[in-house]
Amino acid sequence: MAKRLLEFRNATAIAGVGYTPFTKNSGASTLTLACRAVLAALADAGLTADDVDGLATHRVGDSAPPTLVGPALGLADLSWHLDQFGGGSVSHAVVGQAALAVAAGMAETVVCYRAINARSEFRMGGTGRGLPVSPEVQYQAPYGYVAPPQQYAMYARAHMLRYGTTAEHFGTLAVTQRANAAKNPRALMRTPITLDDYLASRWIAEPFRLLDCCLETDGACAVVVTTAGRARDLRRPPVLISAAAWGGGQSHLSGGDPTVTSAAALAPRLYAQAGLGPGDVDVAEIYDCFTYSVIVQLEDYGFCPKGEGGPYVASGATALDGPLPVNTHGGFLSEGYVHGVNHIAEAVSQLRGEAGDRQVPGAEVALSTAQPGYILPATSALILRRA
Amino acid sequence: MTVHRPEPDRDSREWWERVARREFAVQRCAGCGADRFPARAFCPACRSEEWRWRAVPPEGRVESWIVSHQPFVPGLAAPYVVVMVRLAAVPGCLVHGNWRGDREPRGGERVRAVFRDVGEDLTLVDWEPAR
Ligand SMILES: [Zn+2]
Repeated sequence: MAKRLLEFRNATAIAGVGYTPFTKNSGASTLTLACRAVLAALADAGLTADDVDGLATHRVGDSAPPTLVGPALGLADLSWHLDQFGGGSVSHAVVGQAALAVAAGMAETVVCYRAINARSEFRMGGTGRGLPVSPEVQYQAPYGYVAPPQQYAMYARAHMLRYGTTAEHFGTLAVTQRANAAKNPRALMRTPITLDDYLASRWIAEPFRLLDCCLETDGACAVVVTTAGRARDLRRPPVLISAAAWGGGQSHLSGGDPTVTSAAALAPRLYAQAGLGPGDVDVAEIYDCFTYSVIVQLEDYGFCPKGEGGPYVASGATALDGPLPVNTHGGFLSEGYVHGVNHIAEAVSQLRGEAGDRQVPGAEVALSTAQPGYILPATSALILRRA
Repeated sequence: MTVHRPEPDRDSREWWERVARREFAVQRCAGCGADRFPARAFCPACRSEEWRWRAVPPEGRVESWIVSHQPFVPGLAAPYVVVMVRLAAVPGCLVHGNWRGDREPRGGERVRAVFRDVGEDLTLVDWEPAR
């Protein structure tokens, strides 16, 4: 197994990233957004649609599948595509699957995208979707317990009770990420906030306030995956895919400790693939559907001991000038919510040294992660490095 | 009160029928004796498909709770409290319900189930402080 993993390590690269604007109302279909992001990522790489032989996305019935995007862009002969159901848990798995397909020779140039009208059409925070992700919702929905902010708040409270994590810990994370967003022209929310602003924001589901919750957003984001060798001949500095891991664990209804996520089981596999550890990570783009999701992942990816995520954030460790800059773009909390792909794209920008005012000096290794396994017991992550 | 009706599946329908009879039951595996919730056909410990229902005391401890200030389900009156309970009979499992105390829950406190009829054909499980 180890030999096979070594063959995968750094065999593929991300050669381009593309965005649409992030807005509260795109005025466009998810198909249109997807096509725009795909073309933008190709242009960034110095490629055209004629170079594409693979498309991949993830969605929960709220986006444009490759079977629509391919024809819309005149891609008449795709050799590989993937339309993965599963929300933010699989955002990084999709890029990992694309890298596997490229490494195996099934495709040479795969564009992974996510297009979402999460503000103007399909809000995650509501119940009108008619798309239960699991039969387990039958044990929760009758109690008015249906929305991700409620579910995450429940797990956050369990963490507070067990480890003494506080509102100030959550608030410091929100404040830190907003400071990063202030340096990001793409971010939806760029006005700096203070801890007092956080504490004064209205309750959504105690212990979560408004500023614990991500910004549901309209927009799309895409990345181009190709072989490492080919990426070196393209327009931009290649960013190597050193590791890609995905998988799942037990449901939290019958899985024991609610303060541990599937990321804790996945992290050792991910680091082993890359031949790196948490101490090698220069910048981390961590799925921040809520403040707490970052805190629990800082623990489960080994940046601090279990239970210490709150104090770790409060120490300033995750700020731009800290030892582990986290969510340098502002994350879902302040840049916008594009279901994980914008975290991958920001990691690429950092490793290229193109992140402008928010650049982490000398960033060589980045971790980017997906929803860590609450709600759906699955997660995924990538380790990327500068070539 | 409006509720988002559960959609029982073939594994869970009898669980809901038992709740309607004010019985709180889990499944006991005939292969290894492990108790489990939620209802499903296979034992995740030994993969046996043989099991029987076992009525257990509807008791547990508060693992967490939220105070929902948005209804999220149309027609619900906010704020309301949802509690997550670690079942005494199946300590690996977490069960949800609305809170029926006259104060907020406390972490780790002992609670017991209260059956709540919604209309004529649906019964739900709420939780109150154990006395
Ligand atoms: Zn068994």
